[in-house]
Amino acid sequence: MMNLKLAKTILSIAVSNAKEIERVFSIALVDENGWLVALHRMDGAPIPTAEIARDKAWTAAVFRRPSSEVSVYGDPGALGFGLNAQNWNDRLTTIPGGLPIWDGDSMIGAIGACGATPEEDVSFCQKIIDEIRSRQDNLKI
Amino acid sequence: MKELTLELALKMIEAAERWARDIAGSPCSIAVVDKAGAVIAVHRMDGAGMATTDIALEKAWTSVAFKMPTLMGSRWLDPRNIGKLLGDHAMGMIGRGKGRLCFIPGGIPVTNEENEVIGGIGCSGVPAGVGDISDTSVSQAGVTALYE
Repeated sequence: MMNLKLAKTILSIAVSNAKEIERVFSIALVDENGWLVALHRMDGAPIPTAEIARDKAWTAAVFRRPSSEVSVYGDPGALGFGLNAQNWNDRLTTIPGGLPIWDGDSMIGAIGACGATPEEDVSFCQKIIDEIRSRQDNLKI
Repeated sequence: MKELTLELALKMIEAAERWARDIAGSPCSIAVVDKAGAVIAVHRMDGAGMATTDIALEKAWTSVAFKMPTLMGSRWLDPRNIGKLLGDHAMGMIGRGKGRLCFIPGGIPVTNEENEVIGGIGCSGVPAGVGDISDTSVSQAGVTALYE
């Protein structure tokens, strides 16, 4: 379960990580149902990044897979093709940079980041998730 | 203080959260926006309703857009006032601002020493109330924290 305490911890890790690689990001954390828990836009990050980060986190949470992989549902060759993966609703996005956060078999929420290239966004999210995993004992996720 | 930074926004939100937890006694969402109305930080406290993040953001945006607390807007639209205020066409504002205008008390603009608006703070989730137990008082606690 995503709660505000965990979200704040993740965000402080994220902001210090972003300062290390000298990038500015918007970082959004959503709960297991895709609803926003906390969002930070770092100083200097462009205004739309906040909403895009939230879109990525929502997509990762509700599909329970990285936002970049959601585009498989829009593959005309796939069985049951029909989901308009780009404009299904105003939150859904296929831009890489949203990752679900798993605690064993259950998903506790998702993180979305926006502010650099898509590859950097993904590696940034992955780094944060790896870091909270390494601190798992005192975070109790 | 020239402009709101993430650090200042978090200082405000921390103080507002303390007020919400200890004095207002309701979990709520708190949002801080910059002078363009763009979000800097949003926090939803554990137990607050899922829609409160968006409403807190809308309140903060509206307080910056009108450079006044959303409490003022709610007075304009109070059904008890409609038709009584001379030259009052406040109903015309419903649905304006691409759906971002929000006339529920709880948003307050943040001003600098020259009385220019440099941002706004909004809170949503405290059941309708007056005085210390209201969205406005939670936001006010956040603004006060800037000057501590």
